[in-house]
Amino acid sequence: MSSKTSWRSVNFSSLHIEEWNGEYTVFHPESGKTHFLNQMGFQILVDLHSRPLSAISVDEICQNLMNQFQLQSDTTFSDQVSKTLHRFDELGLIEQVK
Amino acid sequence: MIVEQVPVERFVSLLSEQGLRVKLGPFNVQIRTKLLQLASQLYPLYANYELVEDEIAEFHVQVLPKHSVRRPFASFVRFLIDGQSPFPSFPSDQALAVLEWGINLAVAVRTNHLLLFHSAVVERNDGAMLLPAWPGSGKTTLCTALVHRGYRLFSDEFGLMDPQLGDFLPVPRLMPLKNQSIGVIRNYLPEAVLGDEIFNTQKGTVAHVRPPKESIQRAGETAKAKWIVFPKWVANAPLKLEPLPQSEAFLLLASNSFNYGMLGETSFKAVTQLVRTCRCYKLVYSDFDRVIAALNELTDDT
Repeated sequence: MSSKTSWRSVNFSSLHIEEWNGEYTVFHPESGKTHFLNQMGFQILVDLHSRPLSAISVDEICQNLMNQFQLQSDTTFSDQVSKTLHRFDELGLIEQVK
Repeated sequence: MIVEQVPVERFVSLLSEQGLRVKLGPFNVQIRTKLLQLASQLYPLYANYELVEDEIAEFHVQVLPKHSVRRPFASFVRFLIDGQSPFPSFPSDQALAVLEWGINLAVAVRTNHLLLFHSAVVERNDGAMLLPAWPGSGKTTLCTALVHRGYRLFSDEFGLMDPQLGDFLPVPRLMPLKNQSIGVIRNYLPEAVLGDEIFNTQKGTVAHVRPPKESIQRAGETAKAKWIVFPKWVANAPLKLEPLPQSEAFLLLASNSFNYGMLGETSFKAVTQLVRTCRCYKLVYSDFDRVIAALNELTDDT
């Protein structure tokens, strides 16, 4: 997976979001599906939504998450974040920007 | 008028001719059959249901004899709902089980104005308690014990929720005990009224428990849920009743609903509201006296 790929939010404001002590249920009206996200997964959506006019690279997303969750740099972290981003893309929550 | 006020000859005549119309909670069901054995099983088990005269029946069901060319001397029945047969044929001595499964199927598939959870529901102290569980968790057995110890039966199978009001609707139907549960309940509740044991069904041996009369009489009284308890029977296990995180309760409830996906946003909002307003627990039990005491304590603490 290329770390050069960038991502942006899709219709974040249309989501119905409920917070349960640091976990989230998210209803996606377009698909009619409910998704269950942990805090980090949800933070990815929030970060992308916070920059609606520009796409964000995987590296930048990873850096934001490491800062917010006080994580050490780890070679597998970027891969895990990339997988999550692709999964969110499949679900229609975000989209890739080439 | 309730079924037991009708002479048995009239009951059989209704079943075999224009159909017996009974009120099963929010549903009126018309049942037709010419099978005398089924009629004789239904008469005591349906004794407390109200007869419906002029109202429309939501479901029209029939149990008919079926003759097989391959097995001409065996006796089979088939179940029809509104003229359609959703099941293959079954041995005729399983007619009661087939009828009850068929009505359950009709409720599960055709009820889309309500949110349906796969859950037993009982009521105590003006609050409904959901007992959601998959088959094999012992929810019917636990439900049977509770409704003979002061709880009002809503259902052993369906949590019917009005998603707008948040109310649960009773649909007190026969409770099908399976296999070892039959003996367990006969021993624990000698006062319970059970139907004949039906052998070799797809779920093993089944015997139906008649709901308490009061639960049927009060089937029009809805209630809001106050407790969600996910039960599991484990042989010889000590009782455990532990709080369950709300996020987990949400996921478990949504995934065990029959029509969560179909109702979309309505379901999401309804389940959110339900979980936010209920106390959620997971329960492991093996002993009726202990579990009833624990649930009494829980439902006393309002």
